[in-house]
Amino acid sequence: MSAYAEFDKERQEIDALLRQGYVITGIREDLNGAAVQFTSSGPGVNRVELLLLTADSRKYVTTLIFAGANPAKPLETHM
Amino acid sequence: MADLRIDLAGIKSPNPFWLASAPPTNTGYQVQRAFEAGWGGAVWKTLGDPIINTSSRFAAVHFNGQRVAGFNNIELITDRPLEVNLREIYETKKRFPDHAVVASLMVEPKQEKWHEIVKRVEAVGVDGLELNFGCPHGMAERGMGAASGQQPDLVEAQTYWVKEVAATPVIVKLTPNITDITVVARHAVKGGADAISLINTINSLAGVDIHSWNTIPNVGGQGAHGGYCGPAVKPIALSMVAECARDRGVGVPISGIGGISTWQDVVEFMLMGSTGIQVCTAVMHHGFRIVEEMLDGLNNYLDDKGLASVTELTGKSVPKYSNWGDLDLNYKVVARINEENCINCNKCHIACEDASHQCIDMLTNADGKAFLHVREEDCVGCNLCSIVCPADGAIDMVALDSGVAPMTWNQRQKVISGLNSSYSEAEVV
Repeated sequence: MSAYAEFDKERQEIDALLRQGYVITGIREDLNGAAVQFTSSGPGVNRVELLLLTADSRKYVTTLIFAGANPAKPLETHM
Repeated sequence: MADLRIDLAGIKSPNPFWLASAPPTNTGYQVQRAFEAGWGGAVWKTLGDPIINTSSRFAAVHFNGQRVAGFNNIELITDRPLEVNLREIYETKKRFPDHAVVASLMVEPKQEKWHEIVKRVEAVGVDGLELNFGCPHGMAERGMGAASGQQPDLVEAQTYWVKEVAATPVIVKLTPNITDITVVARHAVKGGADAISLINTINSLAGVDIHSWNTIPNVGGQGAHGGYCGPAVKPIALSMVAECARDRGVGVPISGIGGISTWQDVVEFMLMGSTGIQVCTAVMHHGFRIVEEMLDGLNNYLDDKGLASVTELTGKSVPKYSNWGDLDLNYKVVARINEENCINCNKCHIACEDASHQCIDMLTNADGKAFLHVREEDCVGCNLCSIVCPADGAIDMVALDSGVAPMTWNQRQKVISGLNSSYSEAEVV
């Protein structure tokens, strides 16, 4: 799989959670990558963790928050 | 024609081109010929207690047909009595009153030694002093040169002693053989330095003869480390000049040194904060007359840029030089191959496959013609393909609009820290 494809897969997972109403509530970075915690106040599962492996995903997820969109929303990017 | 005059901490010169303290400034004969050729100033070969040199003292590193890509020397300071040098300095200054003559000095780190030499040198009319705290070989073994320059407190104290008696501007020449050159630069300023010059030579061994197993150079079969200079050291020098130029604790004029060979190099050093520059290796390689081309090139460049004075260049690129953590992570460039200029040597493909991110494909079109194609989405914009490409105009690195706001590493880390702290400990993963 190309590096872009790996990133795109992770980005779609991030965007899907955001569309479902989840909010990014924590990021822990270690040797394995970035563990991103998503929390939802709605019914059912209210906490999901994604382990982001690619550099572009780890950049993307923080760009979302830095851009002032938390509750973060997917960005229309060319990344 | 632009005004090329400079004023470095009170030392005036008809142009920014000075000879560095080195073999080309060993005698009045040489310095006067240099001034006739067009050099604006000279830093006299370092004065101090006369030394004895070895025979076989220079060596060079040639790279892929490029002679003298780097230059190594184990020569020490002047081997001539002070009075002889002073007489020639006096005669030179008398003949060229408008040119800058700066005396490079190196003595033991004792107050009385510095006082004595400063008074004697200034008495013959030098325009300034340069304290040599940089030479890495020979003199350093005797506690001078780089041995002094690697101790910030000793640099400060000796500068202070010089300033106690000096009537002319004092330049402190810094050694690059240290972890952080700005520390020493700040101490020089605390000691009263009016300016700094950098870099002196870098510790080096030019090579080893694989047949005789002798070092290069060797003195009867024995070698010792020397000082490295020439084009190969320019990036190191430029970086150190830039670090000093942007350090608010330094804040004095800079005389840039290190591998300067062309007028373009001069422009780069000035843009990165130098008020003037010094040259040695290029003169040792090509002679004094290289300054003619440097003068023409600089003049034309300034005219093209519409600049009235060379001083307008100083420091213009310093605000563009920052820390890695302040660079925009969302900035993106990608490689674009121009087929009309590509010679299909495939070096870009090999470089990308073996050393980067495997995003340049070798393809064949419908006519059976081979071509190279960049998968832009996988290109990280490392520049390697354009660096190894031998064909002008075959690869462009093109900036893309990522569609998102700039974000630096430092900003990113603050975002993560802020996010994690805004939730309770239990909430944070």
